[in-house]
Amino acid sequence: MSNRKLWTSALCILHRRLYSSPRFSAGFHLNLESTSVFSCSPYHAGKSIVSGSCKGGFMANFKFSVRGFCSEPVVGSVDKCWNCGTLAMSKPFLACESCKSVQPVDPSIDYFQIFGLEKEYDVKVDNLESKYKDWQKKLHPDLVHSKSEKEREYAAEQSARVIDAYYTLSKPLSRATYMLKLEGVHVDEEKTISEPDFLAEIMEVREAVEEAEDSQALNQIQHQMQGKLESWFKSFANAFKNQEYEAAVTSIQRMTYYERVKEEILKKM
Amino acid sequence: MLRLGCKRFLGFSNQRNQTLPQTLLRLYHERVVDHYNNPRNVGSFDKNDPTVGTGLVGAPACGDVMKLQIKVDEETGKIVDACFKTFGCGSAIASSSVATEWVKGKQMEEVLTIKNTEIAKHLSLPPVKLHCSMLAEDAIKAAVKDYEAKRAKLGANGEAAPVEKVADA
Repeated sequence: MSNRKLWTSALCILHRRLYSSPRFSAGFHLNLESTSVFSCSPYHAGKSIVSGSCKGGFMANFKFSVRGFCSEPVVGSVDKCWNCGTLAMSKPFLACESCKSVQPVDPSIDYFQIFGLEKEYDVKVDNLESKYKDWQKKLHPDLVHSKSEKEREYAAEQSARVIDAYYTLSKPLSRATYMLKLEGVHVDEEKTISEPDFLAEIMEVREAVEEAEDSQALNQIQHQMQGKLESWFKSFANAFKNQEYEAAVTSIQRMTYYERVKEEILKKM
Repeated sequence: MLRLGCKRFLGFSNQRNQTLPQTLLRLYHERVVDHYNNPRNVGSFDKNDPTVGTGLVGAPACGDVMKLQIKVDEETGKIVDACFKTFGCGSAIASSSVATEWVKGKQMEEVLTIKNTEIAKHLSLPPVKLHCSMLAEDAIKAAVKDYEAKRAKLGANGEAAPVEKVADA
């Protein structure tokens, strides 16, 4: 127990020194009151260590819950249920396995962790829906309507967060924007862009959609747009992996336009 | 379809306007609806015409794209005609329509002082639609910039040509 505490505090100090830049602060949450901290073996079993998620070489050497330390460097407390005091058995800790009580939202658990996914763009989103439903079976406010006000509040917030996570991750564009947000990169949506060639292309496509006479023509354009989107998805995934955030932002802007064309086509059909 | 929806919405809201204060309902201002139903200056000029400046801008947030073109009298530097083509929401369309109306008959330096806040005020745009008026302001600036760039290029070519002629002769 004391060894663990020593490790925790040592890593905490080192962490704070190294990761004080705003770029990393978005993903890291220094909250001494947080009840969710991950320390040793119980949490690391079965979970692959994503040393890539913590930038900085030294963290990669520590084989236990690297991701946990990067996100929640808290001194002393461990994950345990506010209701029955049972220690958390698995991550993410949204509801107690023992007494089924819904836990308060821990904002440092990101959406990928909620669904047990790696923080990569090309994640498989096929079984997102079933995981989402599984969570709602445990967190939905309807299940706690006879419980205390505190728990009802927790349930409302947790299930809302899971819903948000599900919708954000299931759509490629919002997933991309979210991933950049986790890195502290904000996509400035207010600034106008003036890329003449690209905008001219979009103009032409939008005009084609307006003038399209039948659903066959529309489907063809839809198909083209999907093709463009797929290539920009790849472009984003690459840029993100290589931490080329400007290129990533450009990819997102392009994607926005193609998605918009798709929406207009759907409206017309 | 949007137009029908707009008309229907306006028809419905006109009834309610008698009983509820306007601020409670999130409507398009009547000027915006006017520009939408009676668009002024929609169209295209020839991009390659030396007297035409083309501004093409986009808003990444909503995927809107706006094209604003000006026709300039070379001698006086006055904008004699303007047209626009916008793919976007009603506010974006109205903003660009207003922009084309306002630039006509003005000097190029003058139109550069048109601010998005003036357009937004004229159309009573809600805060969430302010970026549409910003888009229109940027479109005007882009059109003027394009025209001046064209002129500079032509001017450079024009100066080169007589030299060549002299050399040939």
